[in-house]
Amino acid sequence: MSGNKFATRVAVTIVALAAVSSAAGAADFDWKKFQGKTVTFLANNNPVSQALLTYKGDFEKLTGMTLKVDGYQEQQMRQRLVTVMNAHSDEVDVFMTLPSREGQQFAAAGWYGDLSAMAKDEAAKDYDYAGLSQALLKAGTFNGKLTSMPMNIEGPIFYYRTDIFKKCGVDKPATIKDVEAAAQKIKACDPTITPFVSRGLKPALAYTFSNMLHNIGGSYMANGKSNLCSPQSKEALDTYSRLLRDYGPPGVVNYSFQQISALYRTGRAAMSFESSNELRTVMEGGERLKDTGLAPFPAGEAGQVPTAIGWGMAVSAYSKQQDAAWYFVQWATSPEIQKRMAVQGIAPPRPAVANDPEYRKWIDEEPVRKQWQAALDVLATKGSSEVGYPIVANPESRDFIGQAVQDLVLKQKTVDQACADADKGLDALIAQK
Amino acid sequence: MAYAANAVTPDRQRAELVALSAPAVAFTLAMIAFPVVYTVWLGFHAFSSTGTQSFVGLGNYSKLVADNEFWHGLWVTLALYVLSLVLQLLLGTWLALLLFHAKRLPGVVRSLFISPFMMPPVVAGLMWLVILDPSIGAANYILQRMGLPPSDWLASPIWVIPTVAMIDTWQWAPYVALIILGGLQSLPPSVYEAAQIDGASAFKTFRRITLPLLLPTIVTATILRSVDLLRFFDIIYITTQGGPGNASNTLNIYGFRVGFEFFNIGYASALMLTLTAIVFGVVLAFNRLRGAVAW
Repeated sequence: MSGNKFATRVAVTIVALAAVSSAAGAADFDWKKFQGKTVTFLANNNPVSQALLTYKGDFEKLTGMTLKVDGYQEQQMRQRLVTVMNAHSDEVDVFMTLPSREGQQFAAAGWYGDLSAMAKDEAAKDYDYAGLSQALLKAGTFNGKLTSMPMNIEGPIFYYRTDIFKKCGVDKPATIKDVEAAAQKIKACDPTITPFVSRGLKPALAYTFSNMLHNIGGSYMANGKSNLCSPQSKEALDTYSRLLRDYGPPGVVNYSFQQISALYRTGRAAMSFESSNELRTVMEGGERLKDTGLAPFPAGEAGQVPTAIGWGMAVSAYSKQQDAAWYFVQWATSPEIQKRMAVQGIAPPRPAVANDPEYRKWIDEEPVRKQWQAALDVLATKGSSEVGYPIVANPESRDFIGQAVQDLVLKQKTVDQACADADKGLDALIAQK
Repeated sequence: MAYAANAVTPDRQRAELVALSAPAVAFTLAMIAFPVVYTVWLGFHAFSSTGTQSFVGLGNYSKLVADNEFWHGLWVTLALYVLSLVLQLLLGTWLALLLFHAKRLPGVVRSLFISPFMMPPVVAGLMWLVILDPSIGAANYILQRMGLPPSDWLASPIWVIPTVAMIDTWQWAPYVALIILGGLQSLPPSVYEAAQIDGASAFKTFRRITLPLLLPTIVTATILRSVDLLRFFDIIYITTQGGPGNASNTLNIYGFRVGFEFFNIGYASALMLTLTAIVFGVVLAFNRLRGAVAW
């Protein structure tokens, strides 16, 4: 064997070994293990699932499985889930869930499959479990059982019109008091503009109100009892309702994200406190692209404690093919798919994806996107996922919070009456097992 | 003889008919009976927020009697029912008379008159939500152009019930009109000829002849609308979700939220069975009335 031939063989061997070892991550994992199976996914027809399902074909090609999507609007999806789960049916394999809302309830009812072992032992090497937001993983863990994998991170953020602020001589608010002062100035400066808008619809407002409550230093519970009548919680109720009543649009008690985004997008509101997910809707048409500033909601006495939640993907406890279902969950929450979803405006629950060059390029295209990402970074690091009471009956607790705020917006009760009535109902709810 | 041996006797024919129709009848009965029986069964059980169930007998019904939200929901349901029904019968009758007498009305105009009830309630609800939006809706714009103060419409605890009744009337008065128009077209012309010969005025003819003869048709329309109105759901769910506060929280909306948002299926079943009993009672009462006014 000549020296040249030997050198060539050594080089080829080294290259081949390097190639094999670099491909090992993908090769180690048998994506085709459940080829031919059909996984049923109960989806909330929101921007998160819409972005994900753009790549449905890729999943089917990768795994050889068929993905059957059962999509509904949020409330109808829950309605379907309740029916399926109460019947202990295996019709649904994977479903979308909001751990901050129904996590405790569904976990206590035994509807979630346990993902703890699968997430660690049955994942592709490039899945990077540790790269997922630990706060969101914690929010989806009940009694030591991991019940869902995070799909996105979201929370209410503060949208404001830089042009109106400039025209009216208003600085970007640094505190909640500044927000009210800015609203007052804008009301006097341009009466045709709605100074401030946020959620007023009873079942929906806990999402934004919780952020204000925590910023002011209030809490939902203390010593196992409802705590809405504490001085800080009363201040939060008073401030939130006053902002809506004195500076919000007429009919704000029926406002949820659709109305808020429509009002802001059409240029009729100067400040909006609404979900980070609404960025795409608000920027539709491009009218607000250049005159909008974004930030986490300004600080209160307790600083900035933004609300940070996320949709999760859970495997049904009644699914007869939890292992195949897990393949879909891990594909959907993998770094690659979450990167692809991120450039469609779905904030990734993986800090590493936020640093991905392709994503950074998309972010750097518009200053407003940079501010959006900066706000999301604050949500990810300082966020609290407490929206409503941390009890099993969380969805019902949100109704009492909403009622108290609406009573104040409509001037039907004083703050003391509203919080006392809410506390009474909530204490009864807390006592329920 | 052979013919006589093969002849189908009435008894055998009856037996065959029973045998052939039995599967269909059994299936239909099962489809009706199973959900009812299951709901009754659910109504006797309490479901905790975690999904565990326990037999409570009439516990859900005694809870219901002490539940302020139930009584409030019943009041809202009845207020909405009475207001909407009166408006729809008055407007429907007027529209039917207009269509009946305006012989030369083009077909397109007639179709337009009756088109709202063909619209899906979701579309109608969303459309009115936009029109009645206090900030960007057309309704307040029109009021202001007329020099009138703007209204909060669906966001006002006082105006929400009349506003929802107005939306439902817009959608369903044409349906009532269509039923009454059918009744008008079947009235015997001889009675009108006699009235004309006697020199009766148009108003007197309407009050003494048309209205009494139309009563059975009006009662039929009342029954059909009662069933829908007492179970009022879609428009409210789309526009207010029972708000502001609880101002438009009908029994049906309340039951839905208890069952599907708060997951208390047992109590929701008790609420829905109570509502069903109310609907049944009202229909029975109007059915008797229809018998009394028949001619």
